[in-house]
Amino acid sequence: MSKKIYILFIVSILTSSVFGQFVGKDDLSIALFYLQKNELDSAKTRIDLASLNDVLKETAKTWYYKGFIYKELYKNKDKENKTSPYRITSIESFEKMFTMSNKAEFEQSASKILKYEASTLYNDAARMLDPENYKTAISNYALFRKTMKLVDEDANLDSRDVQFKLALASMLNRPSDGKVAVDSVNIYQVKKLYSEVLVIDTNNPGANYNLGILYYNEAAEIINHMDYDMDIMSLNAVQDYCIEIFLKSLPFMKKSYDLGYKRRETLIGLSNIYYGLNDLEKSDAYKKELQDLEKE
Amino acid sequence: MKKIAVILVSLLILNSGFKVGVDTNSKMKAIFIMNFTKLIEWPQPYREGNFVVGVVGESPLYTELTKMAKTKKVANQSLQIKKFSSINDINKCHILYVSQNKSGEISSVVNKLKPHNTLIITEKQGLVEKGAGINFIVKNNRQKFELNKKNVEKYQLKVSSNLEALAFTVK
Repeated sequence: MSKKIYILFIVSILTSSVFGQFVGKDDLSIALFYLQKNELDSAKTRIDLASLNDVLKETAKTWYYKGFIYKELYKNKDKENKTSPYRITSIESFEKMFTMSNKAEFEQSASKILKYEASTLYNDAARMLDPENYKTAISNYALFRKTMKLVDEDANLDSRDVQFKLALASMLNRPSDGKVAVDSVNIYQVKKLYSEVLVIDTNNPGANYNLGILYYNEAAEIINHMDYDMDIMSLNAVQDYCIEIFLKSLPFMKKSYDLGYKRRETLIGLSNIYYGLNDLEKSDAYKKELQDLEKE
Repeated sequence: MKKIAVILVSLLILNSGFKVGVDTNSKMKAIFIMNFTKLIEWPQPYREGNFVVGVVGESPLYTELTKMAKTKKVANQSLQIKKFSSINDINKCHILYVSQNKSGEISSVVNKLKPHNTLIITEKQGLVEKGAGINFIVKNNRQKFELNKKNVEKYQLKVSSNLEALAFTVK
């Protein structure tokens, strides 16, 4: 008998304190309760349940708070993780929120958080531009773009795109440790990146200059590796191929010249390209211009 | 954020560099010359000892030919590359390459080589009419060559029909 009284006593204490507060409350409310107390793991458990609930998953509030709680988890527990799943879930939750009709009250706050998360993604992308981590940098940058577009679908990210692509191309355009030459797969990717930059900004001096050099080097490398025993038929075929590449290189280097970019290097470039094109007169003219420049 | 900008800017200032040490024009000419050694026949006394390629005057081709001589032979003859500063210095060689700055002295070259079995190669328009056997020309940015069969045969050298077929023009 006394045992039953004891159990009843315990139950009444519990229902009137912590658990008592949750009676009749939904997972979203409980998640907010834990969030207020800064008990983020418990808040996460509850908001995850809320976002699966047939009724709650249709409200913008659920997705806003899911985004908010996961942002807090990222900020407090996972900030150094450049691929933090908390950050990703937070962004995805806000993305979901933006699709809902009852989103108005949360839009401004969600945008502010997304901007913060986008800035962390951009910073992480920049920090990871090294041979080991650049693929993560690329995916972080892609997520940065997506996040910025969630905030403002008309956001102009051209200058950021150019900056990131140029930095990535520069990083890939260096031989990896212990190697003399840049990997051919990387060269292909580097050319693609510079070409993409020129689609955004035709007059980008760095992209023009580097594309000029990359094409020149491609042809020069082929010629450098030609065997002296090669027959004339094959020689003519290789020559045709290389001339096409030198001709591809020329407009980029000319553009760099017109833009006044790296005057000395560009003059060397033009002189070399014309030499490759067997136009020794023009090659000498640029060489002369270089000599005059160096006299100044 | 400032630190990030520094990271990106430091990556941006790294530009590609040109391949150094590649003389594209001379490499092509050296390969052509190697082909000439196979498609032209020298008289018996010239098929022994070193196969000598002379360069008269200043030309970057000398450096390229010297590089080629380190690894290549003409049949079983070692390649030897000689540099002649003036026409007077020229002596017996299988091939003589007359550089641009000595092109004006083609008649003296022809006279000097009369007693020898030498293929004269030049790189200036019109010289194939003035005694050169082969003259390098540029057509549509491509390195090509003109052949003057008579000028080659004057020195008792035999021209293969393949070489004729590959020449841009045959005189």
